[in-house]
Amino acid sequence: MKKNEKKNIQTRIIVIGVFFCLLFSAIIVRAVHLHVFKGSWLSEKAEGQYKRSLTDTGKRGTIFDAKHREMAVSIDVTSIAGFPRSIQKPSKTAKTLGTILGINHKQLRKKLSSKSPFVWVKRYATPKEVQLIKAANLEGIGFLSENSRVYPNRSLGSQVLGFSGIDGQGLEGLEFYYNQYLKGAIANQTVIQDALGRRFREEKKILAEYNGNNLILTIDKAIQYITEYSLDEAVQNFSGKSGIAVVMEPSTGAILALAHSPRFNPNTYQESNRGRWRNRAITDPFEPGSTMKIFLASAALESGYCTPNTIFYCEEGRYKVGRNTIHDTHPYGWLSLQEIVKVSSNIGSVKIGERIGKEQLYDMLKKFGFGEKTEIDCPGETTGLVTPYSRWSKIDFATISFGQGLSVSAIQLITAVSAIANDGVLMKPYIVKAIIDGNGRLVENFQPKKIRSVISLETARTVKKIMQDVTAEGGTGTGAALDGYSVCGKTGTAQKVGKTGGYAGSGYVASFIGFAPAEDPKLAILVIVDEPQEQHYGGIVAAPSFKRIAYETLNYLNVPPRQVKSVVSSEKLTTFRDKGANG
Amino acid sequence: MVSDRLFCRGDKYYCVHPEISYINKSWVDNTDDGTNSMFDRRLIQYFDWWLIGLTLMLGAVGFTLIYSAVNAGDFTIPKALYGKQIVWFAIGMTAMVCTFIFNYRFMDQWGGMIYLISIILLVFVLINGKLVSGSRRWLEMGPLTIQPSELVKISVILILSKYYSKRASIRGFTLKYLLIPMVIVFIPFLLIVKQPDLGTALLIVLIASSITVYVKIERKTMIWLIGSGAVLVSLAWFFLLKTYQKQRILTFLNPDRDPLGAGYHIIQSKIAIGSGMVFGKGFLKGTQNALSFLPEQHTDFILSVLAEEWGFAGTGIVLILYMLLLAWGLNIAHGCRDTFGTILAVGVTAMLFWQVFINVGMVMGLMPVVGVPLPLISYGGSSVVTSLIGIGILMNISMRRFMVE
Repeated sequence: MKKNEKKNIQTRIIVIGVFFCLLFSAIIVRAVHLHVFKGSWLSEKAEGQYKRSLTDTGKRGTIFDAKHREMAVSIDVTSIAGFPRSIQKPSKTAKTLGTILGINHKQLRKKLSSKSPFVWVKRYATPKEVQLIKAANLEGIGFLSENSRVYPNRSLGSQVLGFSGIDGQGLEGLEFYYNQYLKGAIANQTVIQDALGRRFREEKKILAEYNGNNLILTIDKAIQYITEYSLDEAVQNFSGKSGIAVVMEPSTGAILALAHSPRFNPNTYQESNRGRWRNRAITDPFEPGSTMKIFLASAALESGYCTPNTIFYCEEGRYKVGRNTIHDTHPYGWLSLQEIVKVSSNIGSVKIGERIGKEQLYDMLKKFGFGEKTEIDCPGETTGLVTPYSRWSKIDFATISFGQGLSVSAIQLITAVSAIANDGVLMKPYIVKAIIDGNGRLVENFQPKKIRSVISLETARTVKKIMQDVTAEGGTGTGAALDGYSVCGKTGTAQKVGKTGGYAGSGYVASFIGFAPAEDPKLAILVIVDEPQEQHYGGIVAAPSFKRIAYETLNYLNVPPRQVKSVVSSEKLTTFRDKGANG
Repeated sequence: MVSDRLFCRGDKYYCVHPEISYINKSWVDNTDDGTNSMFDRRLIQYFDWWLIGLTLMLGAVGFTLIYSAVNAGDFTIPKALYGKQIVWFAIGMTAMVCTFIFNYRFMDQWGGMIYLISIILLVFVLINGKLVSGSRRWLEMGPLTIQPSELVKISVILILSKYYSKRASIRGFTLKYLLIPMVIVFIPFLLIVKQPDLGTALLIVLIASSITVYVKIERKTMIWLIGSGAVLVSLAWFFLLKTYQKQRILTFLNPDRDPLGAGYHIIQSKIAIGSGMVFGKGFLKGTQNALSFLPEQHTDFILSVLAEEWGFAGTGIVLILYMLLLAWGLNIAHGCRDTFGTILAVGVTAMLFWQVFINVGMVMGLMPVVGVPLPLISYGGSSVVTSLIGIGILMNISMRRFMVE
């Protein structure tokens, strides 16, 4: 009985054991099934859950001036992000953050208790804020590394440089024009994401090869600075509305400085008036006025109909063209071509125009590049407006002769004048010298580019002489004369078209354009002051500014001064009344 | 080559023969004075190193996995849990030693008392339990939080073993004799279902049924029981189960029914297991674990951490360890000389088996999600202590297998 009982127990234990084994083998079969046969499929599923592809862009390139000084740089900054799903006490977190960052608690709490997995708390936080928040050790608050654009020289060259937005996209100026080069490449990054949507970066650093290229400008920071404060001075002294000044190297077409007044701070561009953002030297056409007379003179001399000494009768200040009457501020009798430019006689200019004809003038203006884009590497360039000569009425022809009734941009004007300085060869203006990559390797190199020969060497020399005379005694541009350097120039005083379409009663554009030294021009400079008050003559408003820019820049460039040989002294001026200027 | 062998222990000679050894032992036992003392030298001699070894190995696996679950990247599980688990394991080991020091034969005397205490605790839980996500399962006692339903398993095993061993002569229990065991099981079952904790309640029924089937039920009664069981289950489906419990069962049948809701646990667990492939992703390298995709990864779903980080190799080894432990448990039952001890050993082994099977089956998507921890591995104080007490009982029986009634 006992033995039987024992055997019975043993059998039953074995039965239990077999039963256990059967169920266990089911589990093991399942384990093999999951691990081995479904393993790769489930691995993919797992990756699909936690791997997120995220695009990240490399650092935006730096903009350097001609001497490799930084004009615009990207710096690493930290932004603060919130992961609402892992924030336990949104109100407490919001309070702490709000106090540190100075943000409204309520709004922040709303953000932090939202249902989205990710919210920005503050982008581009200051290092101090980041430090304080890190010290507060808040749950569900993350720190993300980003790039922020900084313009170390603040407003210097602001309209040229432009700015880029918070997403690293160039929005204005060179930042916009060269955005494709400057912007960092898109780096596809795999980001690990947890079940709550929190992200962890696999690689924190973006490789240098994703960084954008750097620009090297032709602009020299020092010359830019000189130009800006000289321009500011002119604008302020005469309460002008605004001003533009451009400095160009005539032999190459390189822009050495391009100044606007007033400027804005691209670091805080949103706080400034949108109207200030654009590079008006490139984008805005204006009526040039008397500065155009040098191109009229060029056309006259090139045509062969005139010499500098060809004389014209200036009608004693009043000249009827059709129903309109053209005035000179000072009445003149007979003046030579040279004198007409020197004293800036409008009637004399009309007479010169009549002598050479519409076609000659129009062709010459076109050859100097007016009415066409210079193709400078800046966004939004205007063509200006030069209507075809076939559509010129009598009065149109007359006014175009002295620079009204057509519009040009500052860049066109300086480029054209540089052609005269450059012995008649028109160069393409440019503002970026080279593009280099993050490792300093050259990506693109921009060489000076000759466009065409506009006038003969001889004509160019003659026009130079005429222009030099403008700054000599009795000329309209004596205010631009420099000690130790000979200066060629031309004043301009244009009446602006009023809202009604006529010229009456609206403001003036005072300008001075020229180059120095006359013998071997190193600089071509244009200064424009829009709507100066009290005084409006270019010779008074713009010339001193030109003088200052020229003088200081020539010094900066170590151009040796020499005794001015008076080209003019030998030539007798028949008609010379006083310092009268007609524009 | 069977021959008697004599070997020396102190000043006594023992004879060991595979077939008649116990006669010799009992002979020695009876002739030796002072054998009634609890601390027989043979207790040391027969100390079950296999059992303790397997237990400690599984415990070590548990610590490794909890460490990973707590530390791998995530911050949702407090790191302090790891230390807590060490404390609980120490408490459990102490309880285990206490359990095997006293001869298990005295346990039948305490059976009723232990059962009564555990029922009282269950009532307390319903009145004053800690409410966690809709269930009252835990009692807070100072710094400790205990889950009385875990301890009920042991008490039910004890009291059933006592009941059945007293009636060991009966060849096949009929309903008449099964009525009392049914009441014994039904009281804690109802109290636990009330918490609600269907998993543990069903586990107790499974353990009790295993013991009852083992002691043999009369054939007709068996058929009758199975039939009424089926009726009860269907009744329970319509009247007793809560919506979330029904959801879990439906979801088990088709996890993709609700991938972000009730099916989430199963799907995530399967993904973690499968993505571990054959050799795993490495310690602390489990992405699904570290990135919080795994639910309850330190408690009920700890096996998926193992499977993800150690692959099939890890899962296989742990399953083999469990199989060895269970085989050893049955071996102890087999080697035991008295009915009470045998039933007790079978009961404890069945308890461990069902927990392992249900937990692993659940984690692998073979079973619906019910809250059953993996014995000796999952985080959880009461579970660890209960499992170690169970091991202690097995140890107790194993150590005293030389003793004859």
